[in-house]
Amino acid sequence: MMAAAAAAGGAPEVIAQLENAAKVLMAPPSMVNNEQRQHAEHIFLSFRKSKSPFAVCKHILETSKVDYVLFQAATAIMEAVVREWILLEKTSIESLRTFLLTYVLQRPNLQKYVREQILLAVAVIVKRGSLDKSIDCKSIFHEVSQLISSGNPTVPTESWRETLLDSRVMELFFTVHRKIREDTDMAQDSLQCLAQLASLHGPVFPDEGSQVDYLAHFIEGLLNTINGIEIEDSEAVGISSIISNLITVFPRNILTAIPNELFSSFVNCLAHLTCSFGRSAALEEVLDKDDMVYMEAYDKLLESWLTLVQDDKHFHKGFFTQHAVQVFNSYIQCHLAAPDGTRNLTANGVASREEEEISELQEDDRDQFCDQLASVGMLGRIAAEHCIPLLTSLLEDRVTRLHGQLQRHQQQLLASPASGSIDNKVLDDLYEDIHWLILVTGYLLANDTQGETPLIPPEVMEYSIKHSAEVDINTTLQILGSPGEKASSIPGYNRTDSVIRLLSAILRVSEVESRAIRANLTHLLSPQMGKDIVWFLKRWAKTYLLVDEKLYDQISLPFSTAFGADTEGSQWIVGYLLEKVISNLAVWSSEQDLANDTVQLLVTLVERRERANLVIQCENWWNLAKQFARRSPPLHYLSSSVQRTLMKALVLGGFAHMDTETKQQYWTEVLQPLQQRFLNVINQENFQQICQEEEVKQEITATLEALCGIAEATQIDNVAILFNFLMDFLNNCIGLMEVYKNTPETVNLIIEVFVEVAHKQICYLGEAKAMNLYEACLTLLQVYSKNNLGRQRIDVTAEEDQYQDLLLIMELLTNLLSKEFIDFSDTDEVFRGHEPGQATNRSVSAADVVLYGVNLVLPLMSQDLLKFPSLCNQYYKLITFICEIFPEKIPQLPEDLFKSLMYSLELGMSSMSSEVCQLCLEAVTPLAEQCAKAQETDSTLFLATRHFLKMVFDMLVLQKHNTEMTTAAGEAFYTLVCLHQAEYSELVETLLSTQQDPVIYQRLADAFNKLTASSTPPTLDRKQKMAFLKSLEEFMANVGGLLCVK
Amino acid sequence: ELDFTTGDAGASFTYPMQCSALRKNGFVVLKGRPCKIVEMSTSKTGKHGHAKVHLVGIDIFTGKKYEDICPSTHNMDVPNIKRNDYQLIGIQDGYLSLLTESGEVREDLKLPEGDLGKEIEGKFNANEDVQISVISAMNEECAVAIKPCK
Repeated sequence: MMAAAAAAGGAPEVIAQLENAAKVLMAPPSMVNNEQRQHAEHIFLSFRKSKSPFAVCKHILETSKVDYVLFQAATAIMEAVVREWILLEKTSIESLRTFLLTYVLQRPNLQKYVREQILLAVAVIVKRGSLDKSIDCKSIFHEVSQLISSGNPTVPTESWRETLLDSRVMELFFTVHRKIREDTDMAQDSLQCLAQLASLHGPVFPDEGSQVDYLAHFIEGLLNTINGIEIEDSEAVGISSIISNLITVFPRNILTAIPNELFSSFVNCLAHLTCSFGRSAALEEVLDKDDMVYMEAYDKLLESWLTLVQDDKHFHKGFFTQHAVQVFNSYIQCHLAAPDGTRNLTANGVASREEEEISELQEDDRDQFCDQLASVGMLGRIAAEHCIPLLTSLLEDRVTRLHGQLQRHQQQLLASPASGSIDNKVLDDLYEDIHWLILVTGYLLANDTQGETPLIPPEVMEYSIKHSAEVDINTTLQILGSPGEKASSIPGYNRTDSVIRLLSAILRVSEVESRAIRANLTHLLSPQMGKDIVWFLKRWAKTYLLVDEKLYDQISLPFSTAFGADTEGSQWIVGYLLEKVISNLAVWSSEQDLANDTVQLLVTLVERRERANLVIQCENWWNLAKQFARRSPPLHYLSSSVQRTLMKALVLGGFAHMDTETKQQYWTEVLQPLQQRFLNVINQENFQQICQEEEVKQEITATLEALCGIAEATQIDNVAILFNFLMDFLNNCIGLMEVYKNTPETVNLIIEVFVEVAHKQICYLGEAKAMNLYEACLTLLQVYSKNNLGRQRIDVTAEEDQYQDLLLIMELLTNLLSKEFIDFSDTDEVFRGHEPGQATNRSVSAADVVLYGVNLVLPLMSQDLLKFPSLCNQYYKLITFICEIFPEKIPQLPEDLFKSLMYSLELGMSSMSSEVCQLCLEAVTPLAEQCAKAQETDSTLFLATRHFLKMVFDMLVLQKHNTEMTTAAGEAFYTLVCLHQAEYSELVETLLSTQQDPVIYQRLADAFNKLTASSTPPTLDRKQKMAFLKSLEEFMANVGGLLCVK
Repeated sequence: ELDFTTGDAGASFTYPMQCSALRKNGFVVLKGRPCKIVEMSTSKTGKHGHAKVHLVGIDIFTGKKYEDICPSTHNMDVPNIKRNDYQLIGIQDGYLSLLTESGEVREDLKLPEGDLGKEIEGKFNANEDVQISVISAMNEECAVAIKPCK
């Protein structure tokens, strides 16, 4: 309708219609009804789909005064260009692009959203052109707009050399920026151009000399531009991107080859800007701005520092020390309260303070600012001489003040217990200061690590070694071992190792906290600070406790004396940390995050055997184990996840080095009570009758929770013991499943135990043990399915419960399947000595178990349940796994199961999320390959794949789809085409026969011919397949959307 | 030590639990009603504040939603929930006749309204053997599920 009107040249009518529709859309809800609105939307939709709307759109842009209509015209052009690209003459595309650009340039007062849409259309034209390499690079402007549309480092070819290396060109850009910098939008564009020029590299530079010249020129231009001006808010991010690009893209030898003075000015400028952006970022935080431009700029500059100072080959030691001091000081200053710092001060020096609600979703500062903290920590290390003593004195000062403040509160409480309202401002300020000081100290003294043993940073080690001659070891140990005393009250306190003194400053914070708890002031303490303390101690312990001298060239004597293996110092610290953990678990059970960080510290103490050996020598540890086994307060107040981790730690501790008798005793204290209590309950004659008693249910729940914790403790060297222990329970759990069949929360927890055991242990199990586990899982599923098939529930949480069960079952099956690709077992190697050579000649594979499992649970799945996204994803992940790993099993499946699977795939490709669609496409490829291999043209799988061919064909050719999916779809498509060549030709013929327009017919026919040209006849050969995928990309660009025209 | 041998007599309807130890999928009494916890989250006032727990629960009998927020150190009441399966032996005047495991007959439970009630009646009239699951808490009881016996 619209297309016809346009073709007939009824442009004024079209405009009138569109403007009316725009009015409807823009009207307030009370003025128009839904139908009118939908009608208006439909008008725009069909307008955008109209064929060759270019003339009408140009006319609209030139005459209409309605912004929304202009916007829609730009959108229509953009969509039509891509759709009809191969039908358009190159020259008309070129003139269209020129028209749009000129249009924008001549109308400075366009609405922003209209201008952006038109520029987007230009960008799309340029980008689409780059696919054909048909772009005619004539003007520099053209190139720049291309640069703006991409964000990558700039790698132009040699042909650009003359232009880009011409210093006048670069100067032009700086001049332009100086002239327009007060216009927010334009300034950002010109800075983006400069940022691109700052990342110039590749063949455009004939040699290093030209690169040095270019860089020197650029830095000169940059410094001239920013020195002596007050930087606008809108410039901060752009300028920091320029600097960050210079530092990351230009090699160090080029950077150091520019004139010395220039380089120094550059680094000075960087330091100055970093501090200044940091201060502005702090202001932004106080004002709670939505758009944190200075924070973003600050992040970029701090990251640049990290890149710069980590290079010790090109810069002599100490080169950056002064700058590091400057940036470090300013960071600390911004994060401390007045008078030492400026935290929470607005620009005019007024303190602002508000108590906002913080949800659990808000990231902790240590995670949210981890990149900043890593940079500042690194700068702190290279200026260790300054920064470590600074942190120490700031912390020691706050410890004293905190202690004093808490004492005053206590006295006040004693004097008038009823006077509830105490102003906590002073305390909160101290907590916040200590919070940041601990975070910075943590990042300075140790690195984040995943898995491997973290090393003491070399700068910290060297710093300690350098001063060890002046240090008195005994006084150092005294400072460390007396956290209850003021550091400065210890004689000779200035002749102590500074790194150890910094650690002991944090132990002093921890001690003040512990004493306040003992004085019943817990309600005045900050759980956040409690978290910071245990977070730090964990990080510190991982790196420093029982320092392994073999890992270092040189080791500091104070370190090896205070924390080395077999030292009193390390035994003392382990005892101290353990005490802290036990106290926290008792006092802070209500603070989930703090309890969690605490129990993580405990895991750190026992996960390495050397440390565990010390831990188990502490009486406290045994008390903790006994207390937990008794399930008495306060440990059972802890949340279930903390209890699980505590169980894990207690099990890990059991693998420390002990004599046989002690070990026997330990397990008697830790694991046996669990087993004993459990067996006592379930073996009672009247268990069936009392199973719903609250105490019984609690006992069962606690046992199941503990089993999850035990599974979590699995390591390769304890799996043999733990597996045998857990296996006894698993068999009993199946009985429980029957007893508690009508108690969904218990059923759910039982399945979870199986999930955890499979997750942690299956990869270590040899054939016989894996078989035991498979069988247990199968029985579990059979019982579950028997109890749930045909059962109808109406209670309010029925659907949610079932969703959670099925989700866990899918996870269980996926875990079992993972055995097929992650397998550390060495035919029961880890079990040798436990059960001599129990050979098995059964050959049930994970596949059989999993398929059987799928067969059991599939009838319980419903389309409604697939509406839970996580269940849906887990389900499709599982079936894709199955198709990928065992395509040969699929044709042998029972008919119902086979049909369900195929239906699931069809559903997944047609009406689920794009993620699921991708999974299904990935599943189809191996199925089609399987068919090709088997060469059975009458199998049901063969017929099913024929149907998939049509689906994938339609998806690629006729529907709009996510381009990210093209690869998966392409691979499936090619495999299906190989399998069903005749059907494919038929699909193409049918499609062509519906084309009325001879031009489109011809282009389409050509495109299809080109698509298969390199792979005729198509065979399952890798090279051919790759060629096909490449042609497909081009095909998609030419045809994609062409057929969507109405 | 817990004693598992005593029966129902004297058992209370609820027991206290520290808020932090409650768990999603567990139960809690909100506004005097036994609820299943469907959402549990924490927040604090100010960075150095103490945790508060935000609970959302669904009344296990009526499906009504309740919310509560309290300091995480507080104790909340947790309802004792019991679930029993009975064999259906009759329907009379809108009441179910159920056979307990110990061979007693109870006739004090209403035939539920809605689909489940119709399903139960249908199955009964067709002479099918069915098991009825009954949930009880805080002196209230309700049939919630039906499963054919085989």
